[in-house]
Amino acid sequence: MGRTLFEKIWDSHIVEDRRDGPSLLYVDRHLIHEVTSPQAFEGLREGGRRVRRPDLTIATMDHNVPTEKRSLPIIDQTSAVQMQALEKNCADFGIKLFDIHSPNQGIVHVIGPQLGITLPGTTIVCGDSHTSTHGAFGAMAFGIGTSEVEHVLASQTLWLEKPEPFEVRVDGRRRDRRAVTAKDIILSIIRKIGTGGGTGTVIEYRGEAIEDLTMEQRMTICNMSIEAGARAGMVAPDERTYEYLRGRQYTPKNFEALVDSWKDTLYTDGDAKFARTFSMDAGSIAPQVSWGTNPGMTCDVTESVPHPEEYSQDGAQQRGAAKALEYMGLEPGTPMTEIALDRVFIGSCTNARLEDLKEAAGVVRGQKVAFGVRAMVVPGSQMVKRQAEGLGLDRVFLDAGFEWREAGCSMCLGMNPDILSSGERCASTSNRNFEGRQGAGGRTHLVSPVMAAAAAIEGRFVDVRGIDLGTV
Amino acid sequence: MKGRVIKYERDNIDTDVIIPGQYLKVHDYAELATHAMEGLDPDFHSRKGDFVLAGKNFGCGSSREHAPIALSHSGIKAVLALSFARIFYRNSVDGAFLLPVEIGEDAYRAISDGDELELDVPNNTVKNATSGESYAIKPFSDIISKIIAAGGLFKYRPDGD
Repeated sequence: MGRTLFEKIWDSHIVEDRRDGPSLLYVDRHLIHEVTSPQAFEGLREGGRRVRRPDLTIATMDHNVPTEKRSLPIIDQTSAVQMQALEKNCADFGIKLFDIHSPNQGIVHVIGPQLGITLPGTTIVCGDSHTSTHGAFGAMAFGIGTSEVEHVLASQTLWLEKPEPFEVRVDGRRRDRRAVTAKDIILSIIRKIGTGGGTGTVIEYRGEAIEDLTMEQRMTICNMSIEAGARAGMVAPDERTYEYLRGRQYTPKNFEALVDSWKDTLYTDGDAKFARTFSMDAGSIAPQVSWGTNPGMTCDVTESVPHPEEYSQDGAQQRGAAKALEYMGLEPGTPMTEIALDRVFIGSCTNARLEDLKEAAGVVRGQKVAFGVRAMVVPGSQMVKRQAEGLGLDRVFLDAGFEWREAGCSMCLGMNPDILSSGERCASTSNRNFEGRQGAGGRTHLVSPVMAAAAAIEGRFVDVRGIDLGTV
Repeated sequence: MKGRVIKYERDNIDTDVIIPGQYLKVHDYAELATHAMEGLDPDFHSRKGDFVLAGKNFGCGSSREHAPIALSHSGIKAVLALSFARIFYRNSVDGAFLLPVEIGEDAYRAISDGDELELDVPNNTVKNATSGESYAIKPFSDIISKIIAAGGLFKYRPDGD
């Protein structure tokens, strides 16, 4: 019988297979950052172990880093200690580090693909749940905990139980390709299958609407696979994938030969069986805005904040929705377009790539941020920042009243100076609207870059299908 | 394994509420523990639980191993939930921090906050000592049992079968 893309990658990385049990899998690329690696290196030292493949390990600083005033010392001493620890660990164990002053510094899931480190058919791990992003290249990429980080550093392998392949099909075409984005597709999927809908699976995104996406848009989709509970998400590589990777800094020298072998193997066979399939029609997708405290609590921008009893038949889900509305300070029945905002954040590993910034800039060009709204753009990497500045996008944002920052995770996760104050309401292009995620008491609405940009200008959410999205 | 349960009748308890992001820079486990569940329940420590009981998809979100560490160093021996997010599940076991135990709807409904429980892993049951009722728990898979028995991922050695 045929195999799915995921099964082919899994099978080709087995070091040791146990009947009805776990497999020891080889790891091709290990990405590390300052927050989830210190204890792993401590463990290595205590155990007297070395890093088995420093040449397959790449480090950067992203979670803790301040996104302004890079020439000044780090004010937060605990963050500075974690960054210094990563510097020392990388020096001691011979690992390449893109530190806070490197032109290649950035969010780990933005720099991997940009540098050509992320490749089709590989296994990629990182102590960060959004590692699923790299699946956009037809890689099997997933987040791990710090104990597993130590295990990979020491052995370049992991003991894993095999997930099931889950087919998520998005057929047809989007009605409005500027206003309905990859972010709206993935939020729609999570809204339908739920935050636990992908548990125990690796998703393969398929169908016309997926093939139609650029690489950066595919990354947005795969990035949020974890928000549906999936181990990983992937898209089969195609010409667009190879073209994106061609000629990048770390793209292998034998790239064209690799492309030939990938074309022969990296697809799901016609007679392969998925454990499950979910399908939706791209034409039915509208711009999305989250109203609750998990990414499944999302609705169309033209809808109203739901009543908990409308949201679900299930009692536990109704209670969850009621608690979420209380936290979010929202009344059921309020039109989404009447929700006023305090902050706008365009950034994160989900939506801070060049295309995202171009789309957002198209909306804000020649406009001004609404009175009372504080808006910021945080490029996903220093390379994205330079490219955007080369196109003059920094001026577009600054002239409109946005802040233009240095690369990092920033306000996605509330562990660096960029945080919401309690009660502040934010339109955010990030991936999680959990309670306190962007700062204690902060209220997050997940949206696309064009929606965030429009919300910054209007001070509230708008149906972006009905406005001028500018030129990109 | 015996003790008192703290019940949260709630699905999708994420690792951001178990240990908020600003504490991921804290390396001292005892200090980390003082912030456990800070995003969800300010009374968590005064409730003095040995077990946590919750709904579906416990530990979803961020891969931070600080989440099971913070619970473990607060005295939590096991989390009983209808289902778990995978990274939290493995982190709990890999570092030998606590046991992630999958239970059924029957146990979830019948066990109340503050009940005394007896968790019997070898026999795959949890007994509610307060009511006298017993419930089945989902057995651990082969690899998870072995990692637990070894005392963590780094003590686990494949037995050559």
